[in-house]
Amino acid sequence: MNNKSQDHDSNKFSLLVIVLDTNPSQRIVRQNPQLLTQFLDAIIAFGNAHLMQCSQNKLAVLSCHHHATDFLYPMPGKQLDVRQVDGQYEVFSLVEKTVKQRLSHIITNAPKLNAPCESILAGSMAMALCYISRIQRNAAAGVKMHSRILVVTGSNECASQYMTYMNVFFTAQKLGITIDVCALDKTMSLLQQGCDITGGQYLRLTQLDGLLQYLLWVFLPDPQMRQKLVLPPATKVDYRAACFCHRELIDIGYVCSVCLSIFCKFSPICTTCHTVFKIPGPIPGKPKKKKKV
Amino acid sequence: MSDAKAGRSGPTTSTYALIPKPANLQCMDLQEYLRTRTPETLEKLYNYPTICLAVYRELPEIARQFVIRILFVEQPVPQAVVASWGSQHYAKEQAASASCLTELNVWRVTAIPGGLSAWELCSTFKKNLKIALLGGGKPWSMSHTLEKDSKPRDIAFLDTYAMARWRCVLHYMVGTGSSNKTQDSEGISPDAVRILLHANLMKRDERDGITITRQGFQFLLLDTQSQVWHFMLQYLDTCEERGLSLPDCLSMLFQLSFSTLGRDYSSEGMSAKMLTFLQHLREFGLVFQRKRKEGRFYPTRLALNVTNKHATVPAIINEEDKVQESGYIVVETNYRVYAYTDSPLQVAVLGLFTELLYRFPNLVVGVLTRDSVRQALRGGITAEQIVSYLEQYAHPNMKLTESAIKSKSPLPPTVVDQIKLWELERNRFTYTEGVVYNQFLSQADFVTLRDYAQSINVLVHMNERTRTMVVTKNGHDDVKRFWKRYSKGGG
Repeated sequence: MNNKSQDHDSNKFSLLVIVLDTNPSQRIVRQNPQLLTQFLDAIIAFGNAHLMQCSQNKLAVLSCHHHATDFLYPMPGKQLDVRQVDGQYEVFSLVEKTVKQRLSHIITNAPKLNAPCESILAGSMAMALCYISRIQRNAAAGVKMHSRILVVTGSNECASQYMTYMNVFFTAQKLGITIDVCALDKTMSLLQQGCDITGGQYLRLTQLDGLLQYLLWVFLPDPQMRQKLVLPPATKVDYRAACFCHRELIDIGYVCSVCLSIFCKFSPICTTCHTVFKIPGPIPGKPKKKKKV
Repeated sequence: MSDAKAGRSGPTTSTYALIPKPANLQCMDLQEYLRTRTPETLEKLYNYPTICLAVYRELPEIARQFVIRILFVEQPVPQAVVASWGSQHYAKEQAASASCLTELNVWRVTAIPGGLSAWELCSTFKKNLKIALLGGGKPWSMSHTLEKDSKPRDIAFLDTYAMARWRCVLHYMVGTGSSNKTQDSEGISPDAVRILLHANLMKRDERDGITITRQGFQFLLLDTQSQVWHFMLQYLDTCEERGLSLPDCLSMLFQLSFSTLGRDYSSEGMSAKMLTFLQHLREFGLVFQRKRKEGRFYPTRLALNVTNKHATVPAIINEEDKVQESGYIVVETNYRVYAYTDSPLQVAVLGLFTELLYRFPNLVVGVLTRDSVRQALRGGITAEQIVSYLEQYAHPNMKLTESAIKSKSPLPPTVVDQIKLWELERNRFTYTEGVVYNQFLSQADFVTLRDYAQSINVLVHMNERTRTMVVTKNGHDDVKRFWKRYSKGGG
């Protein structure tokens, strides 16, 4: 009884922002373009399942392309006027129609690609953070809001966005926003760091058939709810940093003593803060013994 | 001495009946309501995607996760597997969720090969929840296409309309409706009166007039959403005798509850009975319809999310639609209450538990005193209800004030505590039904009987000097039997 009243009395809602990687240069999409449609259906069903949990829950879907990030839902400006055509709940139909319509619009209008090109995931996540903070600002007084970001991607690791990633992760951590990642293809060690920092779930799928079921199992429960369920345990996180000069993940490197920038090779002037370092001489042998006083 | 005792029946006993506690207003939520239905009714209800959706949202959190996990699984899931989904620390909560699902007939136990028992979602529920989530099936009954309304109604209009209609009912209850007929009350229909009587919110008195009951007063203190829900439940209770079918009405109610505010819907294709139901909803302000015969209606905020009281207050304030200010009460730490209102209803309700000091055209000033609160408590209103009423209508500025003590309530903590203390000080007595044993002939008899009563935990009170003891009513038979045995053996 007590428990139930707590459940109902706390006036809260949760906002889920899904960042969907729609870049056509993802390996799995190039091999089988049909997959993107399947993913989309799974994502829509998952988003609606989130909305179904509670009437105040909010959803936003962002598409991350190779050249731009766009809102798939809610539509910027005026919403579509969707009437019910079958037994589906009106709000859910609206999500489905809007996402599909927006995505086809984006794909047809995207500039042609000559060579595979990486997705600007970090930028999309930054946009998601901005959206969350705007909603947070507009939240009515006395209403508690929990927000999280779910990234669904089949892209490769892109260490070139290392700096943006780290900024996003630490901002999210500070704002108490959980970042979840569902990697469809390669292991994403950078994003895995983000999950670890913000206390989110990282899941790399080995088979793509049951995407919806994976999403519903692992990512549907709220972070507060997750401790009550048994979820995949966190694996060891690869905390390697990317160097600022060649954007490669390194184990051991040089760190600027002033601004903490990381380099894989020694450079006499820090490219970030322009500090001048002394050129290290040859490694000295044994230090000379001090003269006796 | 023992001879003398054996002849009589020993210590005399007398029974005191418990003073009956006055009945309080019982508010059920959807879950509790459904639990009182039969499994057959539930099965019928689950034929409607809207009801499935509403039921799903009312489930406990863990139960919701369980349902969604097995929604797309085509075979029964062994109980052991389901049990392994939850963490050990929350086993109790999980068991409660599982039993809730069973009680609501959402899932049931089946046997699977290998002698294991497994959970299987009720097939009707499963099918219709999938329809609500993913689409398919028949459209809901009110979604016929309409040509564009020439004079569409905006949200602000609908809000005012709905509240005016609903206040009519409330005004009628406090009897203020008659005094100022000009304002917004056109009186209410005999049907509505019948529901109020059925719900025991009002009663006929000796002079055949209708007066408000204590449940009625408690009803007034609820927030509007709970009032609507309670009222609708009472309506549904009586719907069978009006010839309306419960599943139809309930599904209609939830369709409205899941509709979009400010959008018009069509009543085309509805049966005559459902149209009657719609007219009733129109009377209470749950829907707006320009004319009785018009095939177009607008659901109002009262009908939206009828089971969830937090959903009515928009969680996000958009720049374009300003929410109407609902709070008007300011409570200070010196127990003064300022209410910015001129509605006689609100003043009447406030007067139930405050001592009104001044009245101005748009402001009423009162003070919460021990006497005024005790007056309300004596009338059967609880401290909890007073506090929640003040919280619910707290002025928006009250929610903004920074207080040193972190509390969820916008009210000053001292006032909240004091109201609760005033209630507690009335609870000095606990009533227990019991039987008195006295006039023992010897100390030994008394001691034996007392020790026995104590040993079986039925002794309520004893006094050794007057040789009096009180045992609980349940224990009386045991003690009596013991006494008979003992006095026989002794004699």
